[in-house]
Amino acid sequence: MSRSAFGKIVDMQVSRRSILQASGLGALGIALAACSGPATGEERSNNQTSDVDWSSITPAKEITWWSNHPGASKEAEEELISRFTAETGITVKLVTAGASYDEVAQRFQAASGTDSLPDLVIASDVWWFRYFLNGQIMPLDGVFEHLKADVADFNPTLYSDYEFEGQHYAAPYARSTPLFYYNKEVFAKAGLPDRGPETWAEFEEWAPKLSEHLPSDGAPLGLAIGPSWSAWWMSNIMWGRGASFSREWDVTLNTPEAIEAGEWVRSLYNEKKFASVGNDTNADFAAGYFGCLIGSTGSLAGLLEAAPFELGASFLPDGPNGPGVPTGGTGLAIPSSRTPEQQLAAAQFLAFMTNADNTAFFSKSTGYVPVRTSATTGETMTALYEEIPLYRVAIDQLERTQTQDWARVFVPSGDQILTDGIEQIVLNNTPAEEAWAAITPRLEQAFSENVEPYL
Amino acid sequence: MATPVLVDSTPAPATPVTLTDTNRTTRPPSEVRRSPGTFRWRLWRQYLAFLLLAGPNLALLLIFTYKPLIESFYYSTLQWNIGSPTARFVGFDNYIQFFTSSKTAQVAGNTLVFTLATVGGALVLGLGLALLLNQRIRGRSIARTVAFAPYVLSGIAVGMLWLYIFDPRYGLLGTLLSAVGITSPDWYNSSPWAMVMLIIVYLWKHLGYVALIYLAGLQGISQEVRDAAALDGAGRWRTLRSIVLPLLGPTTFFLLITTLLASLQSFDLIHAMTQGGPLGSTTTLMYQIYQESFVNGRAGYASAVATVLFIVLLVITLIQLKFVEKKVHY
Repeated sequence: MSRSAFGKIVDMQVSRRSILQASGLGALGIALAACSGPATGEERSNNQTSDVDWSSITPAKEITWWSNHPGASKEAEEELISRFTAETGITVKLVTAGASYDEVAQRFQAASGTDSLPDLVIASDVWWFRYFLNGQIMPLDGVFEHLKADVADFNPTLYSDYEFEGQHYAAPYARSTPLFYYNKEVFAKAGLPDRGPETWAEFEEWAPKLSEHLPSDGAPLGLAIGPSWSAWWMSNIMWGRGASFSREWDVTLNTPEAIEAGEWVRSLYNEKKFASVGNDTNADFAAGYFGCLIGSTGSLAGLLEAAPFELGASFLPDGPNGPGVPTGGTGLAIPSSRTPEQQLAAAQFLAFMTNADNTAFFSKSTGYVPVRTSATTGETMTALYEEIPLYRVAIDQLERTQTQDWARVFVPSGDQILTDGIEQIVLNNTPAEEAWAAITPRLEQAFSENVEPYL
Repeated sequence: MATPVLVDSTPAPATPVTLTDTNRTTRPPSEVRRSPGTFRWRLWRQYLAFLLLAGPNLALLLIFTYKPLIESFYYSTLQWNIGSPTARFVGFDNYIQFFTSSKTAQVAGNTLVFTLATVGGALVLGLGLALLLNQRIRGRSIARTVAFAPYVLSGIAVGMLWLYIFDPRYGLLGTLLSAVGITSPDWYNSSPWAMVMLIIVYLWKHLGYVALIYLAGLQGISQEVRDAAALDGAGRWRTLRSIVLPLLGPTTFFLLITTLLASLQSFDLIHAMTQGGPLGSTTTLMYQIYQESFVNGRAGYASAVATVLFIVLLVITLIQLKFVEKKVHY
């Protein structure tokens, strides 16, 4: 509210006429308000349709793409766009719509219902389902079939991440897993083998040795917290200890296994001080404050460039119950409210971006995994794996991945709520049982308010 | 305004020699007063002029202030996942949730601390800076420019810059503190320090504005008044307390309102530096609106918080206007 508005209210000379005038303005305002916003009612449904006859549609000549350039990929994206334009004549306007998946998603939500939406948008693991619930994105199966996009060649795990009731609502683009990075120089000084720890128990044995060769304000492991991140790596800890955030829609944070996993993390930061956070853990790791780092596959190219030491990368350590590796990163989705012409052009571009050659090019530029099976054995990736074997680690780790817990990826704001709980455990040294109990009702409320009505 | 209207006291000329028929000065004043048609026409012309001049501003206010205000109140009665085409009417449930949520006390406390510290700090330090910049010293113009410059910088840019200064591992502040044997706190990740960091940066950014307004107020105080006080034997402190500060009353009152409203609506620095964390320790009412709406998708609940914030702002402003203004000497 502006000062002048307040001034006008306060300074207004109240008379019968002015009251009537104000009433008139108010009535107009209410009338305007009623023209926009959501429709109210108990019935809720999505409005995605898949019955378009794509063969009768001519693709638009220009489309807009909202991206956050994951893995510092702006140049790579521009290169792919110029290749696409040269091949099809369709121009693509690349818009930096945020610095993270969350910022792009927030902008996309805010633009919903307006004609300012893009034709193609970043849809991360924790956001695509919310877009789907809101009816904001279209199923791709029909248009991909028309374009003969060979969806069978997509990595089955990565493509099925976007599947709901037999339809796919996004295609994999910048897909990743967390990786365990380590500083080979520090490992050598500490007398440790040139590999990551196979289990978290092994890491705990190694951590005191690493501490001896790190700055006093550093830590053996850099493990950041924050949205779209904490609950991702926490999946590894939970699954490795037989726990989970949820089983389907039931929140399971009250199980002994979940509490034990939370307590282990609490001890890692607070009691043993084997892990630490920072403003930018990737930069701190490259600067030598941490001996190891859990980072995204998509950080590989950046770390190779930034680290002045020889970089190592390995699988995430196993827990007592075995491995636990979540997939992550982002796909690309097409808004359902765009015209069929724009949607067809966007789908053409999406299919082009994710074909075997281009996903290999993108993988080489960033470190994200190639999303097509054939790309991993193609010329580009084979040559890259020979030159820099670290790129191979993420691909090999894909075999150990599993689908993420629904409480994180399907419940709107589930990731944020879980992040709040993990923050309590890490920063406030709150007992896990208490932290998990505090967020459980919030997760259940988010489910009952925003998911259950659609099921 | 409309064309000048003759006053009733204008005497009618004895003989209408050169005046045309259209010139109303030929009519007796009593006729002007008594003709309902003319009166209505004059009223319409006044309204027309009013609409022409005030209309565009009123339209903008209506569209960009009052319409969202009314819509926001309407949305606060919905359970609406932002972006969804449908929503459910829940009456005042969002308000009940807000006032019974354990998080509300923390957010209200954060808002109170941030507002008191930034408004109080800006007024006291701004006055001090203005008194300093009002001295006849060399390089005064440059000093004034330097002091004001942070105010015109983007809040996001200022936040990003200070994040590096505050970095405990390789920030400038950490280096300076370690030079005097103090270990830098972990500004980002410890709950009291994150708020302290925000307040420091907010004051740095806004001090120049407060100082500039105070400087204008100081320069409006007549030298004669100061001289008179000096003749009466008042020292510098007494002059400041009994002459300068009371005469700066209107300036302080203006600054109190503007800085209070700006502080309560602060968003950019919080977003750039802490995003409401750690542990919600820098989440103010304004930031909670953003978080609930765009992060958690609860647009209905966020609108309820926005309505509460609006009422808080309105009440504070009305209280200030009613009580504080009386104590200001003009």
